[in-house]
Amino acid sequence: MNMKKAISLLLTATMGLGMVACTGPKADVDKGFSPSLDKSTSCHITIAGGYDNFEALETEFDRFNEYYPNVELVFTKVDDYNNMIGTVLNGNDAPDIYVNYSWMYGREQYASCIDHAENLADPSLNINFNCIRGNIILNTDDGTLPMVPVFANTYGMLVNKKLFEKEGLNVPTTYKELVDVCNAFREKGYANPMMGFSQKETTSLFSLTIYPYFCGTVAGDAEAVKKLNSLDPSAGEYLRPSLEKVTQFMNDGCVDLDSCEQIENNYDAVILRFFEGDIPMMTCSGDTVSGTKKRESRSEAFIANPFDYAFVPIPVSDDGAYFLDMPNLQFSVNKDSANLDMANEFMRFLITSRELNQMAMNKGLMSPTKDLSFNNMYAAFGNIPESRILSPEVIGLTDDAVIQMRQAVYLVGKGEMTIDEAVAAYGTFTQ
Amino acid sequence: MKKFWIVLVNIAIMAAILTFVVLYAGYENRDSYRRQIENFENTTVTMERVTENYLEGEQRICDVWAQYINNSNMTMEEAAEYIRSSHVLENTSAHIISTDTLTGLSTRPGIGTADEYEVSYQRLDLLKNTDWIDEIGKSINITRAYTNPMNGEQSLAFCNMVTLRNPDSDTAETAVLLRVIPISDLEQKWVFPQTELVNAELSMIDAGGDYILKGHNYKNSSFFEFYKSYNQTDPESSKELFDKITSSTGSVSMINSHGQECILAYTPLSATSGWTMLGLVPADDLKVDTENHVLFIVVSVGLLILFLSDLFYMRYLNKKLQIAARKAESANKAKTDFLSTMSHDIRTPMNAIVGLTTLAEKNPGDVESTKESLRKISLASNHLLTLINDILDISKVESGKLKLSPLTFSIVETVENLVNISQPMIKEKNIEFSFHINQFEKEYLYTDQLRLNQIFINILSNAIKYTEPGGRVSVDLREEHSDVTGCIKLIYVVSDTGIGMSPEFMENMYKPFSRQVDSRVNSIQGTGLGLAITKQMVDLIGGMIDCQSEQGKGTTFTVTLDIPVADRQREDMKLEPIDVLIVDDDETMLQTATDTLTSLGANVEQANNGLEALGMIEHRHLSGRDYTVIIIDWKMPDIDGIETIKRIRSEIDSQIPILLISAYDWSDIEDKARAAGANGFVSKPLFRSTLYDKINGLIGKESGSVEPEDDYSDLNGINILVAEDNDINWEIISALLAMFGITTERAENGRVCVDMLSKAEEGSYELIFMDVQMPEMNGLDATRTIRKLENPWAASIPIVAMTADAFSENIMECLDAGMNGHIAKPVDIKLVIKEIRRIREGRV
Repeated sequence: MNMKKAISLLLTATMGLGMVACTGPKADVDKGFSPSLDKSTSCHITIAGGYDNFEALETEFDRFNEYYPNVELVFTKVDDYNNMIGTVLNGNDAPDIYVNYSWMYGREQYASCIDHAENLADPSLNINFNCIRGNIILNTDDGTLPMVPVFANTYGMLVNKKLFEKEGLNVPTTYKELVDVCNAFREKGYANPMMGFSQKETTSLFSLTIYPYFCGTVAGDAEAVKKLNSLDPSAGEYLRPSLEKVTQFMNDGCVDLDSCEQIENNYDAVILRFFEGDIPMMTCSGDTVSGTKKRESRSEAFIANPFDYAFVPIPVSDDGAYFLDMPNLQFSVNKDSANLDMANEFMRFLITSRELNQMAMNKGLMSPTKDLSFNNMYAAFGNIPESRILSPEVIGLTDDAVIQMRQAVYLVGKGEMTIDEAVAAYGTFTQ
Repeated sequence: MKKFWIVLVNIAIMAAILTFVVLYAGYENRDSYRRQIENFENTTVTMERVTENYLEGEQRICDVWAQYINNSNMTMEEAAEYIRSSHVLENTSAHIISTDTLTGLSTRPGIGTADEYEVSYQRLDLLKNTDWIDEIGKSINITRAYTNPMNGEQSLAFCNMVTLRNPDSDTAETAVLLRVIPISDLEQKWVFPQTELVNAELSMIDAGGDYILKGHNYKNSSFFEFYKSYNQTDPESSKELFDKITSSTGSVSMINSHGQECILAYTPLSATSGWTMLGLVPADDLKVDTENHVLFIVVSVGLLILFLSDLFYMRYLNKKLQIAARKAESANKAKTDFLSTMSHDIRTPMNAIVGLTTLAEKNPGDVESTKESLRKISLASNHLLTLINDILDISKVESGKLKLSPLTFSIVETVENLVNISQPMIKEKNIEFSFHINQFEKEYLYTDQLRLNQIFINILSNAIKYTEPGGRVSVDLREEHSDVTGCIKLIYVVSDTGIGMSPEFMENMYKPFSRQVDSRVNSIQGTGLGLAITKQMVDLIGGMIDCQSEQGKGTTFTVTLDIPVADRQREDMKLEPIDVLIVDDDETMLQTATDTLTSLGANVEQANNGLEALGMIEHRHLSGRDYTVIIIDWKMPDIDGIETIKRIRSEIDSQIPILLISAYDWSDIEDKARAAGANGFVSKPLFRSTLYDKINGLIGKESGSVEPEDDYSDLNGINILVAEDNDINWEIISALLAMFGITTERAENGRVCVDMLSKAEEGSYELIFMDVQMPEMNGLDATRTIRKLENPWAASIPIVAMTADAFSENIMECLDAGMNGHIAKPVDIKLVIKEIRRIREGRV
């Protein structure tokens, strides 16, 4: 474990340096792509993932074909992806590149996903990761890099700019401002100044609001992280500040839970409710944000009264908001690929600011690159000071610990459990 | 301006043709493209049939299995075992999934295991609802492409509902039988058959546009979304299009993800409900327009070449026409000039003849005046005759009809004739004249003597004509070795100190009617044809003519001819060993004569003037060794030849034979010379044969070639039959011959001539002068008839043509007809006498 910690610290330092480097001359970060193989090479590359559609990636195929016109790239959807990808990798239809997730790392049932992955950090591959934010790159025990993020995720809230402008209010940047804005909207007749999905624990408004705050309370406290990861019941005390915060949040009347309960799911329903145009702030994840563009045309209310909106961090601290920076989709290269060189060439092509930003823009997700200003939707996250950017990858919290936190926050937020009960129950929550 | 319009019209026609080609090629392209699209549609429909057959086939297998399972009351394990035993294809498998649990058994073990047959479809949305699976044998029940849970391969499955026996409860339970086929297997088979459709791809979509089978170039999970992503369309249009695609057969143009225009062919898959077969091919693959470009380029280049060649050919033709027009104009002008010149040149001597004849008629009593008039009439007549001959010659030369008529002739006679003809002019103009010959071995040559004479005379007469009185003309005639076998090289050089020619004139001097523009020249009679004829003659004989001239200083013409040597030559000429003294102030003459005489066997001594000669003769005489013959030139400084002879006769010896030689006409001094004591005369140049004959004559030796000169007694009493239809001509010839004591009888035509000869006694006529063109019977026929007469005397009588047909071919015709000679009218009595003598002496 000591070794793991040392590596974590080293990587943290490296990422810190990476962030500093982000402000340096851009040429050092990204020199663009230049082909290194015979341009007339002809082969077939399959990329497997769980998406029904991956048009943003298919657009990248077309761009890659400008360099290699004879390379045929295909995205294949694998049903029940998370469970099936291991089988697929061992079968006759094994893809050359496949979607991977950092949470799969270290879990036995997903061992195939890591075992089949090529070490992308191998210098001979000449893939430049400088363009990617360091804190979302997977830390591994052995220093290898089996996957690289192509999208990032975070939690925040969609804000209806039109309403803020109309009511002469500013988007809040501290918790106090958030409460004030909510009150102001309420006074102006808005029944729900702030909403979110609350039917399930996963990506509930409580998790989305408090998770960044919770990370802030344990970041840098290795002992706390260690205890939390070990699901030690005594670690429940580390949740107390976060649980108190969610209680305060609910007491301050920012949200009306009954109204939130009417939102049926954390994706379509959240978006369409927001597009009704009467909600100034709607908590959601970056994944949900990616679906907004396509659903504009499906909302009669939005078509009738369109408005500008943006995705901003939720300010639950008096010191300001945290930016919880997490990897979303990651790509691995199948080291047994029959066209390994071309698969690596495609990764070399894709892992550049230009292509990643372009793909993120097309998909509507947050880009994993250091430059977030290119997309107005996520630009606010680029303004968060470095000290308030947090990453579960860096902090070292395991998914199991996070699940315990989510359950506790959800139950306390909904009033189904007291703070003490939740603290005491740490380690015993089941999904 | 006209040319501009022609070019413009040509360009317009070319542009019209090219436009037509482009439009037609475009139409052909479009038509071909349309046919290709139709063909692609048809191929897609064919593929739909093939696919349908395949799907039906696969479904039938599944149906058979399901039927058997249903009829056999099997448990799930038994059913799985049954199917396992029925499997033929290695890659296919079957899953039997309970509709209650969505779990079941696979006929193939899970990947990486040998005996794990359990399979779960719980996480797949395929079988949560089975309403779409029809009764066995009713239709094709096929899933979308999905991930086979047993091996992770993208697969399709043909399904049927089956009823199984639950071994635990012994109750029936429903399950879904899936015949699972990997898509990779299908992809290998599922390609367009034509090679030109190598980039075409097939896909299958359901009624909602979701892919059942997806080609690599299709994007998104829904074809309709894919279409909307890359093609500008509004919701209404796209809905209309999608309805059309899923309900009918046809094709539409669309843009793919590469921005490439593609043709999408669609046709419903009739064996399924709401499925559609799609074929997608890049539009460029259906466009076959390369040949049209080639056609366009070929037609363009062809037209351009045609246009340019026509243009150049037209220009060439125009140029030729211009040249022809200029030539015609020039020829017309030449004709006008010629007629004008002829009119002038003929009228001038005619004017003299007519005028002088009138004068003579009016003064019959004034003998001297009449004589002078007649002399001038004679001169004018001769000039007129020369002019007419020249005109006829040049016309023959220009029409290419001039032919050579080679004969054996004596160069000595030719030169004598040349000198004789020239003498009057030389004398008249008081020109210093010299004629040198050198190294003449061969006297008889074989060529067209008439033409050779013309060359010699034309050049020499020009030299004399254009040399001012007191000037000098010299002729040098040499025989040299020729490279042509059987020939000698005859070099004829005539130099004068005349007016010379300008370089400009020399460039055109051989062209007919060229005369130098010079006031001095204009006063000299000439046709301007002489040099042109001379050049043509020289060319005809195969020789060369060269001219060096400087205005004011003189001219030198050099003619070089290779002339065949006649077979017959004079027998060896050798004099007895005699002593000869030759006296002349001309060193060249002295030397050539010495050489000639020495070669004849004489001992020759030379003296450069009369006084020296007198000294040498006296010295010899005193020593008793008189010269056998003395040859003295007439014109010498200090004392001339006549004076020298006079002194020899008076002071030394009155018996020594003396020959007076001269390059001039010596008729005027003949009496004076004879009185002085000259024994004979020789004209320069001194030919070997001439000297041989003259010396032999003087020293009393016989020589066959010595001709009487003014003694015509040998002609006395000769009777000649003259066949002449023209009264005046008859009168002239009979009168002229009568002057020499020759009697004549007339025959009015050829028939009369033949009759007269037939009736005549042998020896009645010495010979016949035969005109050619006569009525009843012409001269040629008459001659042929005479030659066929039985009387040998009559048949062999010499016949000489006397005709105005003066061309060489006329001469040849006459000789071919059997005549022995030819005299051209107007007749030169000297030539007539010479011909009579030649005939009489049997010369040919």
